[in-house]
This record gives sequence, structure tokens and C-alpha cells, in this order.
Amino acid sequence: MSNGETALKHHHAHHFASADDEFEASKQGMWIFLVTEVLMFGGLFVAYGILKGLYPEMVHEAHKLLAVKMGAINTVVLITSSLTMALAVSSTQKGQRDRAIVYLVMTFLFACCFLVVKYFEYSAKFHHGLLPGANFTNEELKDPKSALFFSLYFMMTGLHGIHVLIGMGVIAWVLRRTIRGEFGPNFYTPVELVGFYWHFVDLVWIYLFPLLYLVG
Amino acid sequence: MESHSEKQKHHHHHILPTRTALMIGGTLLFLTFVTVWIAGVDLGRLNFVVAMAVATTKATLVALFFMNLYNDRKENSVIFATSFVFLAIFFVLTSMDLFFRGKVVVDPKLMTASQSGSKLAQPWISTPELVAKGKEIFSVQCVACHGVDGQGNGPAAAALVPAPRNFHSDQGWKNGRKPTLVFKTLKEGLAPSAMASYASLPADDRWALSHYVVSLGPTAALADTPEDFKKAGVNPNQAGGGSEAVVATIPVEFALDQMEVKPVESERNPHLYAPHEARWLERGAPESRAAQIYSESCVECHNSKGEGGISILRGSVIVRALNAGSEGMKSQEAFNRWVIQGLPGNLMPGFGQYSSSELRDLYRYVQGMTAGHSVD
Repeated sequence: MSNGETALKHHHAHHFASADDEFEASKQGMWIFLVTEVLMFGGLFVAYGILKGLYPEMVHEAHKLLAVKMGAINTVVLITSSLTMALAVSSTQKGQRDRAIVYLVMTFLFACCFLVVKYFEYSAKFHHGLLPGANFTNEELKDPKSALFFSLYFMMTGLHGIHVLIGMGVIAWVLRRTIRGEFGPNFYTPVELVGFYWHFVDLVWIYLFPLLYLVG
Repeated sequence: MESHSEKQKHHHHHILPTRTALMIGGTLLFLTFVTVWIAGVDLGRLNFVVAMAVATTKATLVALFFMNLYNDRKENSVIFATSFVFLAIFFVLTSMDLFFRGKVVVDPKLMTASQSGSKLAQPWISTPELVAKGKEIFSVQCVACHGVDGQGNGPAAAALVPAPRNFHSDQGWKNGRKPTLVFKTLKEGLAPSAMASYASLPADDRWALSHYVVSLGPTAALADTPEDFKKAGVNPNQAGGGSEAVVATIPVEFALDQMEVKPVESERNPHLYAPHEARWLERGAPESRAAQIYSESCVECHNSKGEGGISILRGSVIVRALNAGSEGMKSQEAFNRWVIQGLPGNLMPGFGQYSSSELRDLYRYVQGMTAGHSVD
């Protein structure tokens, strides 16, 4: 097991007084980015609030057609992946590279798992004509406005799904750099920031799941 | 540069202990189980509150520990929290606009549009053109009560007490059977009878109507006396009778705009409507004939949503909302009776011209339109 010495040495950029300054600045930048993410998803959450406020019965009837079991499984998957991501970060900080690799791989696999479940969910929706807007052909739901609910469902879970995909990309990227031994107790900024991003993806789902699947 | 000190500086960075990580993860999974379980129990509105409380607890745990805000510099917490403050502003202001704005109420007293008076030099003098024009306006504005021939036997007449004037008789005209006096009636209405004020019509239209109804009589009208002019507020020494006193009214275009029934574009896919637009779908496209009847005969007073309220064109008259609690909405029979006979003593005229199948469609249409209303 590697003992905390990084194979490659990280040199902080010249406009920072120290590596610590660089770390803090990067982190703050990430938080500001996450603020923009909150506002982007926020628009959709406000749209959801409006839809539910205007047509509570319609939203209620439509939400019953979502698969609670699949949503719950995905919640468990995503929370567990958040845990493994947090452990990957702390392992890197402690210089336990091999553990960090295992945790990052696990996180990546949980993300795949999430998308596979999502795939089955989406397929079922497609099959029943529960599609957004003009493509809505389901006849079980009597209210013609039901298409609006599914527009929002696909918009929200779709945007979240894209975040999961991007998350997988950046996890793979830090995994590769971890394998190369670029991170250790002295330098782990990318791992930590990818962790933030991944926890944020989890955070969005923590609200999406109850709003769409449970109390709709 | 000082690479030897970097390692030391990192020492104060908080490292999440594995134990804590596992505990937080376990708590999150437990809370997930709790929220799914509680959602299955019917708590009414509380379900939503509980679900959001659990979600917020989970989100807080993730932010504080997995994202390390608990041990991080406080400014990062402030930055992140700010986003939720703005999100709250976004949500609250949007909701206030959407759910609490209410209907646009225009106070007629504030909207005083002065009528410029007649454009003719002496509109009180009858001409064949004015009579012909009057006949045209009559067929739109007056026939429901006064009948096509002006005999006071329109479809709504049966329901009205007193009965509408029969213009073919020269007896019993309340204000007198002279163009100036009919002009006065049209301007002011004949309270408390069902004869409403038509002050919203341009002065020329009212003069034309006056000449037309007088022309229906068995005898020629008597000449206007100076007193008649005075009563009618017309100055015979000024072109057009002088400008009329400012009439409290709403510009007709504005009123029509308020009452406009949005066109239903049948080719347009109904699912493409934005949420607020989708309200229009409720008085949907398929029942186009019923929609047409509604816009012909009902919308002027009951408004495009069946909510009643203040009719703008016919002065300040409270109009019934067409919701399920309304007597005339209780059954098809009651509905037909109200529509065909109108409401005696009220402004609701009768509409005898529709077939029973049209009435059936209209009833269903109005029901659908007002299904969301609360019963008042």
C-alpha cells in the first residue's frame, strides 16, 4: 500500500501564495459553481411547485404511475455512492491510494447502476405512452394536462441523469489520475471537488425522489 | 515554492473519519426507508411536510459531513446558503403572482372615457340613413328582449316583468316617444326594469336606434321641445348636441379584450400548452359548437371562465357564477329552463334559439368550464 508519498509532485500555480491558498480558492470556486447548479435545478423545482399548486389532482393521479420501488432503489444506490465517494476522498487525504481506487471504482459502478435502473424506468414510461408534451399518448390518465407532469418528470430526471453522466466522466478522470499516483495528502483538490459535485447530484435526487415519486 | 511546508499546512484540513462517514451513510439510508414508509401512510397534507422535512434533514447531513461544510470555512456555508435564499425568493414571488394576484378588477369610476357626442350636426332629426343604421344595431343589441320586429316579444321577453316595450304601440313610453327621450332612455336605462343603460354605445348609434324605434310606431313622433332637449342633456344649439357629460365607462376595446375568448387552435396539440395556458383547455377544443354558443350569448356577462362578477358592458350588475352550486346548474332541465326563459326580474335574458342538443352540449361545456370553481 502506498504510504502517502505521491509519485508526482503538484506545484501550485504561480498566482497563489501557497498550495493552501490554491486549494481554498478552488474549493470556493466549486461552491460558487454549485450555487449556479442550485439555481438551475431551482427553476425546475419552482415549475414543479407551480404545477402542483395549480393542478394538485392531476399531479397526484400522474405521480401514481411512477415506480416507487425503482426510485427507492436508486435513492439507496445514490446515497451509497455518495458514501463511497466520501470514503474515496478521505482515503486519498490519508494517502491510502489503493483504497481510494477501490472506492472510486465502486462509486463509478453505483453510478452505472443508477443509470441502468433509470433506463428500465424510462423504457416502461415510453412503453405506456407517458411521454412529455406532444408525444403523450397514454389513455389511462384522463386529464389532458397529465402530459405536463411527464414533461417536468423527464426534464427534471433527465437533467439529473445528465449530471450523473458527467459525474461518471469526472470520476473516471480522477480515478485515472489516482491510479497514476497524482494525488496524496499534499494534493487532492480534484478528488475533493469531484466529490462535491457527486454529493450535489445526490442532493438533487434526495429532493427529486420524494417530490416526484412519493408525495406528488 | 515552500514545498516542505505544504505537508504541514494540509494537516489542519479536516479528514472525515471513516466511522463518521459510515454513520452518516447509515442514517441517510435509514431516513430513505422512513420517508418511503411514511409516504404509504395517509397523513393528508402532512405527508408533504414530512417528506420535505426528511429530505432537508438528509440534504443537510450530506452538505455538512460529506461535503464537509461542518469543518470548512464559514464563508463557503454562506455562499451555498445564499443560493437557497434566492431560490426561496424565486419561489415565493412566483407563487404570489400566480396564486394570489386574483382577477384584474377595473373600477369603472376610475376609467372615465368622455363620449364625444354625435358627429352629425343635428342627429335628433331623423333621416332614412339613421333609421337604416338603427335597424342594423337593433338586430344585434335589442332583439333578445324586444323581438325581431320590435313588438316586445323577443325570446327573453316571457321572463321579464315588466314586459319589454312594444315599439308598435304609442302608449306607455316611460320617458316619452320622441327621439331625444329615447336617446335619454338608451343612455340611462330604465331602472329598476331590465332595460339597461347602453351608454357604452357611441352617441350616433344611440341616435340611430332612437329614430328606428320611433319609426316603428303607428304615428309620427311629436316634435322635441326645449324641455325634452334639456332632459336628454342635448344642446340643440351646438353641433351634434354638444359633448355629452363624461360617462363612467370602460373603453370598449379594453372591455372586449378582457372578455375575449382565446381562440382554440384545434391543430395545435393541446399538450403543448404551458401550464397557465392549459387552463384554457378546460373549455376545450372538441366542443367547438358549445364554445361558439357560449361566446355568442354568455361570455359578455358570465365572462370567459363562467365566473360571473361584474359585467363591464352592462353597468354594475352582479352576475351569477356558473358553478355547481348555482340553481340553474343542478340539472339539465334546470339549465334549459334558465337559458330558454331567462330569470324574471334579473338581467339574465332568455335564449330561445338553441336546439335541445345544443343546450345539452352547452350544459356539459359550462360544467367542464366551471368544475374547478369553489361553490359560493
